[in-house]
Amino acid sequence: MSRSQRPAQFVAHAMLVATAVFVLFPYAWMVVTSIKTIDDVIAWPIRWIPRQVTFEHYAAILSDPRFMRSLFNSAVVSVVVTGISLILSVPAAYGLTRLVRGGAGRPMLIGILAAQFFPPMVFFVPFYIILQWLGLLNTIPGLVFAYLSVTLPICTWMVATSLRDIPVEIEEAARIDGCSDLGIIWRIILPIAAPGIVTAGIFAFVLSWQEYIFALLYTTSERAQTAPVLVFYLLGQHQIDYARLMSAAVLLSIPIAVPFAIIQRFYRSGLTEGGIKG
Amino acid sequence: MPSRTTLKGYLFATPLIFVLAAAVVLPALYNAGLAFWRYDAMRDAWRFAGVDNFAKLIDAPAFWNAFWVTGVWVVGNVSLQLVVGMAVALALNSVKAFRGFYSAIVMVPWVSSFVIVAVVFLWLYHPDLGVLNDLLMRLGLVETPVAWLASPGLAMVSLIVANTWKFFPLVAITLFTGLQAIPREVVESATVDGANPVQTLRHVVIPLLGPSIATAVLLSAIWAFNAFTLAIIMTGGGPLRATEVMGLYIYKVAFDSFDFGTAAAASLVLFVLILIVTLFYLRVADPAREGR
Repeated sequence: MSRSQRPAQFVAHAMLVATAVFVLFPYAWMVVTSIKTIDDVIAWPIRWIPRQVTFEHYAAILSDPRFMRSLFNSAVVSVVVTGISLILSVPAAYGLTRLVRGGAGRPMLIGILAAQFFPPMVFFVPFYIILQWLGLLNTIPGLVFAYLSVTLPICTWMVATSLRDIPVEIEEAARIDGCSDLGIIWRIILPIAAPGIVTAGIFAFVLSWQEYIFALLYTTSERAQTAPVLVFYLLGQHQIDYARLMSAAVLLSIPIAVPFAIIQRFYRSGLTEGGIKG
Repeated sequence: MPSRTTLKGYLFATPLIFVLAAAVVLPALYNAGLAFWRYDAMRDAWRFAGVDNFAKLIDAPAFWNAFWVTGVWVVGNVSLQLVVGMAVALALNSVKAFRGFYSAIVMVPWVSSFVIVAVVFLWLYHPDLGVLNDLLMRLGLVETPVAWLASPGLAMVSLIVANTWKFFPLVAITLFTGLQAIPREVVESATVDGANPVQTLRHVVIPLLGPSIATAVLLSAIWAFNAFTLAIIMTGGGPLRATEVMGLYIYKVAFDSFDFGTAAAASLVLFVLILIVTLFYLRVADPAREGR
């Protein structure tokens, strides 16, 4: 490294370290608060280092049947939405990128992707009326229906992006060898495109897991309430118990943090190739 | 006549398009229709209302309040995110070590759950027990604790900062990707010709980065128009409706007042507004499109 580059390198690293502190501090504070005793949480000036570590807030929230029920509902909704999203988006992405000739596939894909930029407010009222009419308010299928409007465009786009990189020759060779369309998808495309499809699935899961506005609007009883909605209820109490709230926040972050740690590279490419929502 | 393969391609896409039609297109059209109808609670029936819902919006001070609040919110967010995002992108582009590590950390807010961001910032900003006040007081920057969400102007700034935390990665990574595409020789030759770093940035890098900046601004504006999570959780639109962005206003009209027709009309206005901003912006910001 030449001498003249050293100050510039130093400034760049200093800025990125500052950014890392800015980004990670809220999470660090969330975790620290969740393991403090109530005495330490309400101490002023703040005790930055807890005098005593406790897991009582986790124990309290995990023994709350309403919270456990909401975690279960969140898991069911997220898994079902992920499954349906992949079943519908993989063949569609394949058809539009590989089979449709004459350049009509790409504009259709862009049209599908554009659906993710629809303001959610456009759906507040119609979804409410439709779900009420179908008797699906306060049910998990009702939430699944609402969430598909968010996940389908994104999954289709992501799968299409990953299919684009597979050479057409592989398919043509298989077709000459007498492989059917379904055979080509099943034996050739799926294995090669697996990383992209898994990534799309994780996106669908994470988006459903953290969705809260439709859940807030369309589930008013415990039967179908998801975990983010329960966080709203913890906030609505007269005295907000921040230690308990932070431990709930930690628990809800784990199912997002783990897949992110595994595939964070793909998150970045998803973002740059379609402004995919986080 | 399209080929058999093409037809098969459409066939593969049919289930998806069918579901998207049911879950996206029809509800959106239904919403547009509802904007011209009004629910009569007395008779439990809908009646055609023409443009009454829109007239009602024009007469509603709360609608205009939301309109202006949204304007400030979008401009504030886009500006702050652009500044922070550009700084981070330039730093990422110039470091020689740990780049993958830094960019992974930069992505963390983007994948964070929005509800959790809101809850955690509520706690950071807490007037009596918040760590932000504690930090500023220890550093001697403020004398007494600041009520971050209690006064109209400050509440808006506090929400914009929290929203920027969540959304700056979008701008930073988009600009970083753009910077990576600028050939090293171009920047080096500017330096050889005697340009200082600021001049290089202003006259060489930023013009070449134009399309990336355009994309980043557009995406960040669209998400700002659509976002109201922080407002609904952290301030409820207060104090004095100072943070009641359009999304929250529509939510309140629909589910606090149960005035579905007016809510649909307001969401239609917002949708058209976003569309106009997008089209106008694409025209202004993308010189390559001109004359096409």
